[in-house]
Amino acid sequence: MTITREPTTDHRSITPRGTPAVEEFLSQPVDHMARLPWPFAEGHEAFRYSVNVDQARVPRRTLAGEWGRHVCDLGGAEYPTIMAERRAVLDADPSRVKVLPGMELACWDLLLYYLRDLALSYPDVLHLDEGVGGDPDAFHWRNDLLGTDQAFVLGNGSTLPCGPLEFLAREVPDDLLLVRERDGRLHFDAGAVTFAAAWSVSFDVGMDMYEIHGPVPRMNGSGMTARAEQFLRRVPADQVFRRVNWNVAASPTRKYDIALESLPAWGRDMAEAVQRGDAIENCQFRIELEHFIRLPMTGAVTFNIRTFMASLAEVREYPTYAAQLATILEELPEDLGTYKGFIDLIPDMVAFLRG
Amino acid sequence: MSATIAPVVPEVASVPQQRDEQYVGHQHRGYAFGVRHLQVVGLTSLTREILHVELADPAGSPLAPYEPGSHLVVRAGEGRRNAYSLTGDGFNPRRYEISVLRLDSGQGGSAWLHDNLAVGDLLEVEGPRSMFPAAHEQRHALLVAGGIGVTPVLSHVRALARAGAGATVLYSYRPGHEAHLQDLRELAGDRIRLVEATTVEETGAALHALLAEQPFGTHAYACGPVAMLDAYEEAALAAGWPAGRVHLERFVAPELDPGSPFTATVASTGREIEVPSGVSLLDALVGAGVPVSYLCRQGVCGECRIPVRSAEALEHRDFVLTAEEREAASHVMACVSRGRDIHLDL
Repeated sequence: MTITREPTTDHRSITPRGTPAVEEFLSQPVDHMARLPWPFAEGHEAFRYSVNVDQARVPRRTLAGEWGRHVCDLGGAEYPTIMAERRAVLDADPSRVKVLPGMELACWDLLLYYLRDLALSYPDVLHLDEGVGGDPDAFHWRNDLLGTDQAFVLGNGSTLPCGPLEFLAREVPDDLLLVRERDGRLHFDAGAVTFAAAWSVSFDVGMDMYEIHGPVPRMNGSGMTARAEQFLRRVPADQVFRRVNWNVAASPTRKYDIALESLPAWGRDMAEAVQRGDAIENCQFRIELEHFIRLPMTGAVTFNIRTFMASLAEVREYPTYAAQLATILEELPEDLGTYKGFIDLIPDMVAFLRG
Repeated sequence: MSATIAPVVPEVASVPQQRDEQYVGHQHRGYAFGVRHLQVVGLTSLTREILHVELADPAGSPLAPYEPGSHLVVRAGEGRRNAYSLTGDGFNPRRYEISVLRLDSGQGGSAWLHDNLAVGDLLEVEGPRSMFPAAHEQRHALLVAGGIGVTPVLSHVRALARAGAGATVLYSYRPGHEAHLQDLRELAGDRIRLVEATTVEETGAALHALLAEQPFGTHAYACGPVAMLDAYEEAALAAGWPAGRVHLERFVAPELDPGSPFTATVASTGREIEVPSGVSLLDALVGAGVPVSYLCRQGVCGECRIPVRSAEALEHRDFVLTAEEREAASHVMACVSRGRDIHLDL
């Protein structure tokens, strides 16, 4: 089966189609708080890690807006900007995509699921034709927002300009991670990750859940990793789940790529901002919205991560949230603050949020 | 030996399933797994007792892809839900295909399908469910089929052939009852080797020979009658196979002893339910009007898993939980598990 097809567009260029739907989509106001999945329940005053999973596709109102309506949040008018950063990272560093042997089909499984889901979530701007020319495996994907126009045959790598995992990574803002059981444990065996928060896909790929979470305080010892693994093993075929995680980013900028691979590019950002005196208001409250989907063709489970950010200055526009975040930062035990990497900034962040 | 043991439960009783109908996990119709109707689009007699059934979405929608070795739950007459292995490769299917062995000794589900199905009929199905998957890291596969156990094996062979991967296949059958033999012969080639055996002696000899000569990184899979599975496990043990690489799928769970009587407490209400010897926790709960969803009643499907707050002397006796889960004593399979003073998180 070697059908060679020329890609119908250059997959690296972003050229939105000029349709009215595209213009409307890209003219949405940019408001970082409006899309942010606020991670703390009303009235919560302390944070500990937990297996805080929830059914996906249920929209949640926040004081600033709404999140969670779709599995994939494109990011409104910022979508092309985020995707340009994603594609630049992939162009510069192909090692951000890692697929271990035996995971190739799972990548197609993921691509098919996401393209189908995206076309139904955003029918005015994203389109997937199935069964083109009577061939059930022939598809045609059009992304009007990025200008992608790609015909492909499912499972046939020569019909895409790159692997299926990278192709999807170039279309969606989510970092894509696949876990699958091997030797009795779930292993992270494939990923396309450009926006890792101070970790490295090359370093972590192939690890099991216990190895990945070894550095996280209170995770393995408390049985949390075991429970998380049990949860992921049992994600049913007919439901989709999500989880929210949070941090204060190591760089006080809106750089999504703060992976260990690019440490030289961002590692001095905080020190320089502190020296300038504008670090605290620009500190980014960084939210990871994770989605867990069992892909039916292979049984692989997604651990896809969509990163959202708002600066502390933006958080402070919402006094209830600012007060809650200040209380939680103040209460945070030392080991968690150290692991999250911002322990030394807590007093200044709390003062700023209460100011 | 391995944790991947699953049901192709020939005949099971039906109960209303508890499902949250409000919540739709997937948007695309090609990811439907719940109870729904598919249309019979093909019926073929493979042997005198084996009927091959082809099903398609009545509206022509793609069907949910599935892992090789998955089964489909089929409503087989009034009050019967049977599970049958899907025989396709699971890759973006437009049809689901199952092969139904007529079992007159069962509770009538397979006979009902043989006697009543006609092309054009709508058949109620649920799933597919994956309980006998392939190890994605395998370098090679040894697949062993006995009798109608050929159905999940055929599914695996088709998926391996599609991927261009290597496999050794042993098919043990009685002449005149060789369902899907031609399919396997057509799949055999450079990467896929087919070995046929038609007697118990030939099968035993082939098991020993094949298990002794597989390359490192091979995973082995077997589905067939209990005696063949026992011989397979013994031969694998004798050849020094690690347990985690020896997989099998049971049609029928072994007989269990009746066990001692015990008391189960429903945590939410404090209600105490006596479970006599010879009666399962599941039957005692259902008899007491406590709603529990179940399917196989043999400790293989996992449907009646119940969380446990505390328990003494738990005997799990199921084929679902992992060693870690057993140690944590956090769940029981109500259809087979027993113990003392079990407090159920219901």
